[in-house]
Amino acid sequence: MDQIMPDTTVTEAEYRALSDFVYLECQLADEGRWDEWEDLLADDMHYWVPATLDAPDPDRDVSIINDNRSRLATRLKQLRTGTRLAQAPKSAMRRLISNLVVRREGDGEYTAEANFVIYELQSQSTMTLNQWPGRVIYHLRSKGAGFEMARKRVDLVAVAGGIPSLGFIV
Amino acid sequence: MDGSTPFGIPSLIKKDSIHSEVYTDHEIFAEEMKVIFERTWVFVAHASEVPKRGDYLRRSMGVEPVIVVRGRDEIHVVANRCSHRGNLLCMPERGTKRSFACQYHGWVFGLNGDLLDIPFPEGCAGLDRSERGLKTARVETYRGFVFATFNRDAPPLEEHLGEARAALDRACNLSPTGEVEIGRTWVRHLFKANWKMLSENEADGYHVTFVHDSFAKAINREGKYENVLQGEEDGVQAVCRYLGNGHTELDYALTYRHPMEWLGVKEDRYPDYVQQMEDAYGSEDAEAIMRNGPPHTFIFPNLFLAETCLVMIQPVSVGETMNWHTPLYLKDAPDALNRRILRQGEVALGPSAFLTADDAVIAERQWRAVKGSPAWLDLTRGGDRETVRDGGILQSHYTDETSNRGFWQHYRSLFTE
Repeated sequence: MDQIMPDTTVTEAEYRALSDFVYLECQLADEGRWDEWEDLLADDMHYWVPATLDAPDPDRDVSIINDNRSRLATRLKQLRTGTRLAQAPKSAMRRLISNLVVRREGDGEYTAEANFVIYELQSQSTMTLNQWPGRVIYHLRSKGAGFEMARKRVDLVAVAGGIPSLGFIV
Repeated sequence: MDGSTPFGIPSLIKKDSIHSEVYTDHEIFAEEMKVIFERTWVFVAHASEVPKRGDYLRRSMGVEPVIVVRGRDEIHVVANRCSHRGNLLCMPERGTKRSFACQYHGWVFGLNGDLLDIPFPEGCAGLDRSERGLKTARVETYRGFVFATFNRDAPPLEEHLGEARAALDRACNLSPTGEVEIGRTWVRHLFKANWKMLSENEADGYHVTFVHDSFAKAINREGKYENVLQGEEDGVQAVCRYLGNGHTELDYALTYRHPMEWLGVKEDRYPDYVQQMEDAYGSEDAEAIMRNGPPHTFIFPNLFLAETCLVMIQPVSVGETMNWHTPLYLKDAPDALNRRILRQGEVALGPSAFLTADDAVIAERQWRAVKGSPAWLDLTRGGDRETVRDGGILQSHYTDETSNRGFWQHYRSLFTE
C-alpha cells in the first residue's frame, strides 16, 4: 500500500514570498542590522548551530550556539554594546545562498532549506578572509502578510575540524 | 641568550617579566613539544570516553598524534603512527576496534600497541616483532582524568598534580557518586595565537572586567559576575592562586552566598540532587560542596577545569591553538541538572560563546603585536601583596598576576633541569 503523504508543495506565490524572506534574513545578518533581524523572530525562536554533523541532539551534545529566544536577546544585546570584541568592529561579510527547497509543513508552517557560503573579513584580530560553507534550515510561520522565524539551524561544513571565533549572526 | 639551552629559554623569563619570543619563536615551540608535551604529564582524555574494551579516541600530545584506547582493563596511549613506514594508523576520531590495522601495508597492532601480524610474513622472517610495537606512553589516571607522558622517568602523576588534586576532587565531589563523565561531543575552537596565551588566561582575573565588559552589560549579573565585574578593587572576594608545578586557579567560592549559586539557580531548584548529596556526604559537607561550586583551575600544561566544562588546550603551531571543550556532567545527578550544566557551558565557552569568543580575539591581537614588535612583558601586578598558604600555595587578589608568575617559573624550571 502506498502511504498517503501530506502535500508539502507550495504555490508559486508562497515560494516567492518564502525566498524573499530568506534573502532578507541573510542581508540583515550580513549587514549586522540586529534590530531589524530581531523583528523577524518568533517568541519561541530556537537558534541552533550544532558542534557535530553526526545526528546532534541539542539536549545531550554540546553546541556552538543553542539559543532560546531569551538567550538570543542577550546575544543581540551583547553585540549592541559595541564592546563585543569578537564583533567589534563588525566583520564585513556577504553570504551566497542557493539550492533553496521549501515545503509546507502544516497550516501556515513552512520549512526552507538551503546551502550557503559566507565570506567574512575577520577584522577584529587576524584580518583574514574566512569562508563559512554550510546548510541552513529555517522553520517559518505565517504572520500577518509575511512570516516569522521560529527556528534557524545552521550546520557548518568545517565544524568537526575546529573553527575560529564566530561572533556574527550566522 | 645565555646558552643554557639551545635557544636560551631561561634567559627570556625573569621573576616578574617575560620576553615575547616565548610566544612567537618557532624553535622554542619545537623545544616545548619535546620538553613539555613529551616529557611531562599531559591530559589526554576522560575515562568515561572509553568505557568498554576496544573503545578508542584520536588525541594529541602537543603536536604528536596519539590513540587513547581501553584495553582489557587499563587505558593505553600509543603513538598514532605505524611502526613500519610511519603511516597514520587510525583516522576516525573515535570508535571501537579489536586491533589497529595499518591501511598502507596491513601491519596489525593490538590495543596495547604490540605488533600482532604482518602480511606475507616470509619476507620479514628476520624481523623481531617484539621490537616493532607502537611507541607507547606511560598512562596514569586520577579520578577518571587520564594523563600520559612519553617520559619513563617522570614522577608519579599524583606528585605532578600536587595541590591541584584538590581541584579535581572538587569537580568530582559535586556528583553524588563522586564521579564526573563527559559526552561524545567536544567543541573545537581555533585560536590563532600561542598555546600559552590560553593557558595563562585561564587564571588571569585582571582581564575579566575589560575583555568581558560586553557580557557584563548584556546579562543580569548574579553571584560571581556581580562580584568580579563590579569595578571596585576592594570589593572583589574571589581570589587568585598559584598551586605549584605550573597549576593555577581563580576561586569564586567566597562570592557564593548560597548553595548552587554557581549554576545560577536557587538552592531548592533540584531537591532530588540535594537529597542525593546529603545522603552521600552528610548535610554539612554536602552544603559546603554545593556552595563552593566547581573549580576554575588550570592544570599544567593543557587541562582547564572550567567550572561546568572541561577544556583541553592543544598546541597546533607556534601561532595556532585548538581549544577543546565539553560539558562536565555529574554522574548519577538528575538529567535536568546536567542539562543546566550543558546550557551554562554554552554561555561561556566556544567560538560563539559570550566569553571565549572575545578571549580568542584578544589572544590573537596580542600574538600579532608581539610577533611584529618583540618586547619584555610585565608580570609584576600584586607581587607585594601575595601570601603563602598551606602547601606552599601563593594566594592574592583576584586581579593579581600571582598565577602567571608561577606558571612562568615552572615553565622556566623545565628548561633548566
